Amino acid sequence: MVGLSLGEKHFIQGGIDQNLRSDGRKRDTYRPISVETGVIPQANGSARIRTGATEVIASVKAELGRPHALQPDKGKVSIFVDCSPVAEPMFEGRGGEELSTELSVALQRCLLGGKSGAGAGIDLSSLIVAEGKICWDLYIDGLVISSDGNLLDALGAAIKAALSNTGIPRVQVAAGASGDEQPEVDISDEEFMQFDTSGVPVIVTLTKVGRHYIIDATSEEESQMSSAVSVSINRKGHICGLSKRGSAGLDPSVISDMISVARHISEQLINKLDSEISAAEADEDEM
Amino acid sequence: MAAQGGAAPSTYTPTPTKKTQRSPFFSDSDVDWLRPDGRGFHQCRPACGFTFNLLGCCDLIVFTYAGMFSLSLLSSCAFFSVLYSYMKGFFRTGAVNSAAGSAYAEFGNTKVIVSVFGPRESKKAMVYSDVGRLNCNVSYTTFANPARGLGSDNKEFSSMLHKALEGAIMLETFPKTTVDVFALVLESGGSDLPVVISCASLALADAGIMMYDLVAGVSVSCLGRNLIIDPILEEESFQDGSMMITCMPSRYEVTQLTITGEWSTAKLNEAMQLCLDACSKLDKIMRACLEEAASASQD
Repeated sequence: MVGLSLGEKHFIQGGIDQNLRSDGRKRDTYRPISVETGVIPQANGSARIRTGATEVIASVKAELGRPHALQPDKGKVSIFVDCSPVAEPMFEGRGGEELSTELSVALQRCLLGGKSGAGAGIDLSSLIVAEGKICWDLYIDGLVISSDGNLLDALGAAIKAALSNTGIPRVQVAAGASGDEQPEVDISDEEFMQFDTSGVPVIVTLTKVGRHYIIDATSEEESQMSSAVSVSINRKGHICGLSKRGSAGLDPSVISDMISVARHISEQLINKLDSEISAAEADEDEM
Repeated sequence: MAAQGGAAPSTYTPTPTKKTQRSPFFSDSDVDWLRPDGRGFHQCRPACGFTFNLLGCCDLIVFTYAGMFSLSLLSSCAFFSVLYSYMKGFFRTGAVNSAAGSAYAEFGNTKVIVSVFGPRESKKAMVYSDVGRLNCNVSYTTFANPARGLGSDNKEFSSMLHKALEGAIMLETFPKTTVDVFALVLESGGSDLPVVISCASLALADAGIMMYDLVAGVSVSCLGRNLIIDPILEEESFQDGSMMITCMPSRYEVTQLTITGEWSTAKLNEAMQLCLDACSKLDKIMRACLEEAASASQD
């Protein structure tokens, strides 16, 4: 919770009206983003994203499992977010649960596509090892370390970076298993498969304060919002998911406008993020 | 099956406007494909036309419901009359006697009951608030799904219901107090959440909670190149993407919008228009239901 005086509220709202926010940014400027990959050696892939005082970590763990009976040719991906009390005392105990669920659901909606698996940022059929029998289960975990607004976008970016950092061991399936028998597998610890993350969308949240919308809002600015729309957009400019927060209703034409603004901003963000991720991976290789 | 886009508000199927624009979605091989219940792609589930079979199924549910939750005899009788005399309506208010307001909705196989309690004093642990609180809960019965489930609370739907209704309620009219909205999905037949939201706004109106407008919810599924409005359970499990809009039709404001799957701009706009059109029709039906309930109580 952000406790602001009336004067501070007016200052923030006035700044946004005049396109000059409290930290000197314009309405459509991001805070500098820094990306670090491979921060968790135990995970198959991980990344840390820092933007302003917001800091999140995403890790990807892969386990062998059985594919779903209805979709024998696809692997499974699940996303969970944990809000640590390290970030804010109100997250202690069950306090962070509501926010965690909200973020997890929004990320699942934005990154995993429809029920049939179409439109997913991650190619689920690349996770299959033996059709109908063995597949990779990806567990994507997000952790909020420090919270200063724009958590969803940061988590989305962290997951994208973690996925491009992920190496999944190559698996040899022993031939000769017949019928319902589970085949024996041999997991290589030297050969790794890399993901194609070009299709993973980025999430752009537009926060509506007064008549204007801003991107990358800080928590002070978020406390003044009437509503916020998070749009996930891939490189092709297609919408991959959308969720709305905040109580105020929006005119449908405003939503359409917000989507087109988000699409425009996403192009810059994808390019920015890709260059940051490749720089981070180059750093990691050097070490 | 209801006629498509009739003038009478018997169903909330949107009027087929720009037919020419829609043609890309209905070309080539997709035309011969039929929905399991024989509806057109842009047709919502009909307002009337229950088969006998369906009615029998309803009875069963009412009995189990009354037994399980020990509703008073009176309210279960009231409930019966709902089903028999209101076969033509989707909605019926006043389904639960002990609640401040309640509503029952039935769309195809989706059957939902919502009770509203309050405004009543907030729990002691809550900090002071000069606006009212809204507490929402959506739960499923153990027999709601084809496979017997745990019948647990659905946290995701609960928070979605809260977000959809929050903007429509004048929370400042009941400071320091809480309004509880409890929704129970008796049978899940697809498009559960939009039905829950529409039904809940009707229950709130029945309870006399001040609102800016009723909230109507409609969802659209995307299967291949087709847009399918008001999907049933089978269609939902194979969908490539989905969109749900809840809006306040008289104010023309969207209170909640969720999208999953990959959408191009044209398809997105098409689906939004389809949803909004259906919402405004659904609103008319909901209003008719409220008017009828009000005139019945005057007699």
